[in-house]
Amino acid sequence: MTITAQPAPNAAPARLNIRKNIEALSAQELTDFRRAIQQAMALNDKRGFEYFAGWHGVPLGWCQHHDPLFLPWHRAYLYWLELALQSEVPGVTLPWWDWSTTGAIPSAYASAQAGGTENVLAKAPIKVFNTAPKPGWPTETSRAPGEIPQTPAPPYRQEWANAMKATNYMEFSQLIWTVHDTLHVWVGGTMGQVDWAAYDPIFFAHHANVDRAWRIWQAAHPGANPPANILGQSLQTDPAMQVRATLDVHQLGYEYAGTQSTVPGSA
Amino acid sequence: MQRWTSQVMAVPPPTTWQRADLEFEGVEHDGASFVLHVFLNNAEADEITPRTAEQRYAGYLTVFAHGDCWGDVGHCDIPEPVSPFDQRPPHPLIPFNATLEISDSLRALPEGTSEITVTVLAFNKNGDEDSVLRFKNLTLLTYA
Repeated sequence: MTITAQPAPNAAPARLNIRKNIEALSAQELTDFRRAIQQAMALNDKRGFEYFAGWHGVPLGWCQHHDPLFLPWHRAYLYWLELALQSEVPGVTLPWWDWSTTGAIPSAYASAQAGGTENVLAKAPIKVFNTAPKPGWPTETSRAPGEIPQTPAPPYRQEWANAMKATNYMEFSQLIWTVHDTLHVWVGGTMGQVDWAAYDPIFFAHHANVDRAWRIWQAAHPGANPPANILGQSLQTDPAMQVRATLDVHQLGYEYAGTQSTVPGSA
Repeated sequence: MQRWTSQVMAVPPPTTWQRADLEFEGVEHDGASFVLHVFLNNAEADEITPRTAEQRYAGYLTVFAHGDCWGDVGHCDIPEPVSPFDQRPPHPLIPFNATLEISDSLRALPEGTSEITVTVLAFNKNGDEDSVLRFKNLTLLTYA
């Protein structure tokens, strides 16, 4: 499916930020994204990466899983983090990892070195914001693909296709959170634990893909919203955001890059 | 690996339904993340059993779980609301329901099959043999 980045008719006449496949970033875009993450990691206040990482697990534990708020909460989460990164490096957006078609951790997140230094997307320190560490806490992120025996490995083509066939929000939500769970568990290490997963920058590439799935499904199912009784619910983020405010990505100022097919003209 | 096999469940005739789901009700997710592989009428299934239609494999579910509790004592206990005016969000470790669609697998059983048992193989990174999967009920739901 192709989604073109056209603003909704009633949207403000501002250019949308386009999130791209990590494999499609130019060298400069990847450098900029890495720099934004690195600079945010150096901030020990509420603008910093560690503060945002702490929303998901230790110490704040605000994330929503296995319920209808899963998609809205994580969309809001990515939105606030992306703004924080854009404060560091204007114009950067969160790339996605398309685990529905690729079977390995993207090299941008896997290579130990980048630009002659340690690749912050591959391994990141865990310095819990405003909290004294406890014995046993990890001090850096880790991954251990396949550490849980019999965990299906990506690509998850069929799982993605099954989710896209869902005809209502609740079914879609459950199918996509299930494959989301599988990816977390397959990557393993700190990514396989709710409390620590978001300290790994790859978490946000994973969730950008989950959010992209929702966006694609939404485009194919206009009006198929979460249940009415949760639309007014406040999501626990900083600042808080209502579920209904997460429904339109154009109102949040972004879109996912689609495909482009160009053929020669007549001249 | 933990193996769990259900009691016998009645299966309605295939002409009476379009879709069939297995619903694991009240799945607890306060421990290590885990993966479940589900077989129908194959109580002998184990980790080397091929996950094929011939072995009546029905699919898998994965649960991204909380992991060890890093809070103070009681942090991961699920509290009751302290008053009727308690508007705090639900505790994140409240058990949830996990659904596995098994329409094709159920239809593939031999003609005349009127009951099934469900065997679940549950794996976590610790290699635990029990308490990997903890849940309240298993329901076979069919939809006309």
